[in-house]
Amino acid sequence: MALLEIKDLHASVADKPILKGINLTINPGEVHAIMGPNGSGKSTLSNVLAGNEAYEKTAGQVLFDGLDLDELAAHERACAGMFLAFQYPVEIPGISNMYFLKAAVNAVRKYRGQEQLDAMDFLDLVEDKKKVVKIRDDLLERAVNSGFSGGEKKRNEIFQMAMLEPKLGILDETDSGLDIDALRIVSDGVNALRGPDRGFLVITHYQRLLDYIVPDFVHVLVKGQIVKSGGKELALELENEGYASWVGEEGV
Amino acid sequence: MDLKLLRDRAENAFRENGFPTSRDELWRFTDVSPVAAAAFDGAWKPADIPFVPLGSVVAVFENGKLSLEKSNLDGLPAGLHVGSIMDQADERLGSLADAQSAFVSANTAYFSDGLHIQADDGVQVDEPIHLVFLADADGMAFHVRNLISCGAGSKLTVVEEYIGGADDSAYWTNAVTEVFVGDEGTVDHYKVQRESGGAFHFQTIEASVGANAVFSNHAITIGSRLGRNDIRGKLTGEGGEAVCNGLYLLKDRQLFDTHMFMDHAVPQCNSHELYKGILDEKARAVFCGRILVQQDAQQTDAVQSNKNLLLSRGAKVNTLPQLEIYADDVKCTHGATVGELDEQALYYLQTRGIDPAAGHAMLTFAFANEVLDEVKCRPAKAHIEKLVHEWLDQVSA
Repeated sequence: MALLEIKDLHASVADKPILKGINLTINPGEVHAIMGPNGSGKSTLSNVLAGNEAYEKTAGQVLFDGLDLDELAAHERACAGMFLAFQYPVEIPGISNMYFLKAAVNAVRKYRGQEQLDAMDFLDLVEDKKKVVKIRDDLLERAVNSGFSGGEKKRNEIFQMAMLEPKLGILDETDSGLDIDALRIVSDGVNALRGPDRGFLVITHYQRLLDYIVPDFVHVLVKGQIVKSGGKELALELENEGYASWVGEEGV
Repeated sequence: MDLKLLRDRAENAFRENGFPTSRDELWRFTDVSPVAAAAFDGAWKPADIPFVPLGSVVAVFENGKLSLEKSNLDGLPAGLHVGSIMDQADERLGSLADAQSAFVSANTAYFSDGLHIQADDGVQVDEPIHLVFLADADGMAFHVRNLISCGAGSKLTVVEEYIGGADDSAYWTNAVTEVFVGDEGTVDHYKVQRESGGAFHFQTIEASVGANAVFSNHAITIGSRLGRNDIRGKLTGEGGEAVCNGLYLLKDRQLFDTHMFMDHAVPQCNSHELYKGILDEKARAVFCGRILVQQDAQQTDAVQSNKNLLLSRGAKVNTLPQLEIYADDVKCTHGATVGELDEQALYYLQTRGIDPAAGHAMLTFAFANEVLDEVKCRPAKAHIEKLVHEWLDQVSA
């Protein structure tokens, strides 16, 4: 069974149509990259998949692990195994990262019919995942994303992904605002999480990220539609030629 | 000044001027006529209210009177003196709080008990001194007067906790606390107000902060039907620091007013104020924060913020942050917000598997908890967090 099956997806933001018929299938173990210029609908796609209520799906169907996404609220999608790494992770003063992570892990475990982790088991899990994604202890003790640098926020996203062990990881422009070192650390984390049962949808504007997270498939999203799909070499082609042949000289 | 003269003068001022009205600029959002109209002729009785001591040094006041039986003031560290204010002559009484308002005048005129705490120079006490004011005598007025004196290089942690009975008894707490922080000294002061639902509660806290000294105050308000905190700090020595944070959690038809005044009189001092409020039903809050930076107070660093979260359409906040700056080399910011929970943060929690109801509760707690970030006294922090959780559980129930 496909992990994610998007069929003729249309979506609007504030009554303005953004996605105009997306078709995409991701199987377990595959990494798909979606590339596109600004305004092509990349973030809309990730938000519609994750269940952001500010985005309205107007037509089509999305099956996640065989479940119709229309039937699942945002938190249920997360519990069912979808993870969205935010382009702009939200700061939450007043709640420590550890407290937040424990609440999230136990919410997901409850939904999946697993036992709740107590404080000791949770700390063991944190230690375990720190081997996958390196994160400083003080970032775990501080309030969620509060006062974190851009790189620290993105690393925190990947650490959360490691903790929640999703079936599908969606990375929404994870490379934006990262320097080369941070990019490498974040990519190493994602690569360590790749596996035969897990799929990834990597959304990016630039080819650079795909040097580090090498995709199996690349799709070009322009004006709300996938206009071309191919292997990883398509990313290089785009890097050399840009999006001009699809969007015209005037841009989007 | 001679204490008797001071008290006579205060009584005359109170008799002459009476209570403020809404025509008075400093009281225009807070109508105290219910206090003015009440008789306060109730009779004293022992208070029957449970409490949890936050340390081994505890001073318990039963309906306004220090109860040596319920207190524990034995075995104090050398250089720390704690006792009833009626037993300790201190010429500084009234030098900070004299007659700023009708409430202070009434307190100076009529106070009949309170705590006097003195740490001699160089005496550092880590354990909190817990003042517990138990009140359930209907129709009584409690004019409580406290004086906290921290010597040069000394350290004190003081928690004032006002606890009312569960019976909504109607009484009036009218407290004044004067705090003297000597050079290089540290006073970590907490006020937890959970009076009965029928109570009036007014307190003025006046602090004078010496050179390189630190005064920190956290004021947590949960109780009383009508009340106000006047929290006033004066930075009198270079390198002084004042932190005044607060949290008010209000519901029903509660009205609580916070007036903050921070006076930067000398250079190179910092003051930080973070006040947050959560209001439900038809509750009302008033926040007025005024920072005065005098002409000599160069290199002042002052930050003030008041943020409010409204859980109901009937709740209301009047917030007035004010800066008054006469020096030119200063860093001062202030801001105020009134709003609802951040939708984007709720969505973020949802994408991590946390359902909307749990996310709502978590963000509401987070909103309040930010005020406690700087709380150093662990027993006080744990106690306040528990009270916040209890309040939030009641509101969401």
